Amino acid sequence: MKNKVLFIVTAVVVFLLGLLASSIVNRKNEAKYKYVPQVEISENEPRNEEWGKNYPAEYQSFLQTAETDFASQQGGSAMRDVLHEDSRLVVLWAGYGFAKDYNQGRGHQYAIEDLRNSLRTGGPKGKGDGPMPATCWTCKSPDVPRLMNENGIDEFYSGKWADKGAEVVNPIGCADCHDSKTMKLTISRPALVEAFEEMGKDINQATHQEMRSLVCAQCHVEYYFDKKLPGKEGIPYLKFPWKNGMSVEAMEKYYDDIGFKDWTHKLSRAPMLKAQHPGYETYLTGVHADRGVSCADCHMPYKSEGGQKFTDHHIQSPLNNVANACQVCHREDADKLKENVYERQRKAAENRLKLEDFIVKAHIEAKKAWDLGATEEQMKDILMDIRHAQWRWDYSAAAHGASFHSPVETARVMGSAFTVIQEGRLKLARLLSELGHNKPVEMPDISTKEKAQEYIGLDVEKMKADKEAFKQNLVPQWLEEAKTREAGYGAQKVSMNK
Amino acid sequence: MNLKKNILPDKKSRWRTVAVFLIAVITGLGFFMAKEAEVVSYMSDNPLACVNCHVMTPVYNSWMHSSHREWANCNDCHVPHNNVFNKYYFKAKDGLFHASVFTLRAEPEVMFMREESEEVVQNNCIRCHVQQVTQTKYDGWIDDHAKNRTERKCWSCHQEVPHGTVHGISTIRNNIAPIPTDTDETVIPDWLEKQIADK
Repeated sequence: MKNKVLFIVTAVVVFLLGLLASSIVNRKNEAKYKYVPQVEISENEPRNEEWGKNYPAEYQSFLQTAETDFASQQGGSAMRDVLHEDSRLVVLWAGYGFAKDYNQGRGHQYAIEDLRNSLRTGGPKGKGDGPMPATCWTCKSPDVPRLMNENGIDEFYSGKWADKGAEVVNPIGCADCHDSKTMKLTISRPALVEAFEEMGKDINQATHQEMRSLVCAQCHVEYYFDKKLPGKEGIPYLKFPWKNGMSVEAMEKYYDDIGFKDWTHKLSRAPMLKAQHPGYETYLTGVHADRGVSCADCHMPYKSEGGQKFTDHHIQSPLNNVANACQVCHREDADKLKENVYERQRKAAENRLKLEDFIVKAHIEAKKAWDLGATEEQMKDILMDIRHAQWRWDYSAAAHGASFHSPVETARVMGSAFTVIQEGRLKLARLLSELGHNKPVEMPDISTKEKAQEYIGLDVEKMKADKEAFKQNLVPQWLEEAKTREAGYGAQKVSMNK
Repeated sequence: MNLKKNILPDKKSRWRTVAVFLIAVITGLGFFMAKEAEVVSYMSDNPLACVNCHVMTPVYNSWMHSSHREWANCNDCHVPHNNVFNKYYFKAKDGLFHASVFTLRAEPEVMFMREESEEVVQNNCIRCHVQQVTQTKYDGWIDDHAKNRTERKCWSCHQEVPHGTVHGISTIRNNIAPIPTDTDETVIPDWLEKQIADK
């Protein structure tokens, strides 16, 4: 009898244990679905509005990147003509696209529109025409991973910018950073993965907090187009120069070692490098990165609306959102915080402008030396100094955030540029006196953008006319073609049961 | 030994085998349950252990976006730190209470701390912020300074620390922070991984 009771009691205990175990298994499975979206978005859905149907809060805030009403001291979402604000840049970039037209970027919503409008992309008349390669689209649209997936990475980088105008139409958006099934942050651009490989790191080891910066690092980094990759000769393949590290010296060495130049300067004939927004690299050297703060923490802070908490996808200057961006940690007055930022920016700008003056002078002095019959041999070291100095200046200037993200590193980099350029100008002064010119070189009037552009021999009127024709003729064709293509996508029904 | 005699039938009994078998079943089931419940993870201070229960996701997320993220994990505030035994005792007690409520599907929409927990959290506020709350020099010339300091909870004023002002298990719709049930470890989509590998 006792044994029978024992048997029954045991059976009940085992049954209850089983119930508990099954309840645990069930509730764990619930976790997979509770806060994880269960909607159908196809793998390469480039249309942000399709994603937006399922994520209204995130999408609504993302649409706000179309706002252009905020101008901070040196940035913000307003359109600013940088060449107009600082005409020295025209001379610094003589012979390169940036001397034609360079505006302070607006929000992500404008990625496509502003690229079409920029004089840098010229006025192509059709496929195979125009100054820029297809690679320029890489950071502009969720159509990019779609195309890379459909036709391959190499094919995407091949050809002219105008070749893919009809294919790349949706501005930077959801699919650039999110996995369409799980919504997890994901890397959609090969260049970052390859750069990690080159550094001997595995990007799959990145933590969630690192990913909240790495999705930005797909684009907000220094890059170059490598046309000499074995097996891909002739394709302007997008690469990051991170093999030796991310410091200004490490990248400079990298470029010197592979003998790379972005262009030959029109006045000084120096083999120039263009630094393009090394935002991520400079941020890493700053105190916020050191304290574990990610890009999203300040540029996409948490937001509450209607009893719901979500990440604000209005990616913008934190100075337009001090309460959620800064004051989460810094319990100071908003104006005080802004002033702290502006002070750093002002001090960096003060040095930056002095540095620009020196480099402008170096270019013009070098031109004088050529005019007086200097030889390649005599000019070699001088041109390398100009290359290095301007690279360092650009590295600190082009990452607009660097003067705040990392003021100390920015000052250090500019300091090193001062040294290099003045060394170069000393050599120039000696060379010029050797060539019989022992007095200051006459400087042209480059006080306005127009004067500077005229000085370097740009025909701005023609460029504007070409651009206008392109916008009248080709862009509508692109849009028409894109519309037809996207009409074929259909809209996936949102379903809760897979 | 006595226990063994009480539980296990005599060696010659025909029940002996059955009993051994049943004890093994119970033990095995117990282990299975422990594994499924990720029991070991609760020994750690990793915040992800707390998100084993998905109702904690909203509080995990709000902490993840707060300034406390870099300095304090869940345990730093929510379990006592006066000694290690008390820490684990309190953690076990609180954890079993949570687990019971969760198993019975009785979790409230908005969770409030029990009085016992409030005391623990209050002590932990003071543990780190002792400088801010013990300016004894004010006692002499600010009315009620000591009373204000000692008779209130920090969060009667600092309501938003660190979980924000919006509370409740329905306050988030989507979560892309890591959860322990995630098995997916790659951050590169398959098509990209494949193409890079085929280079």
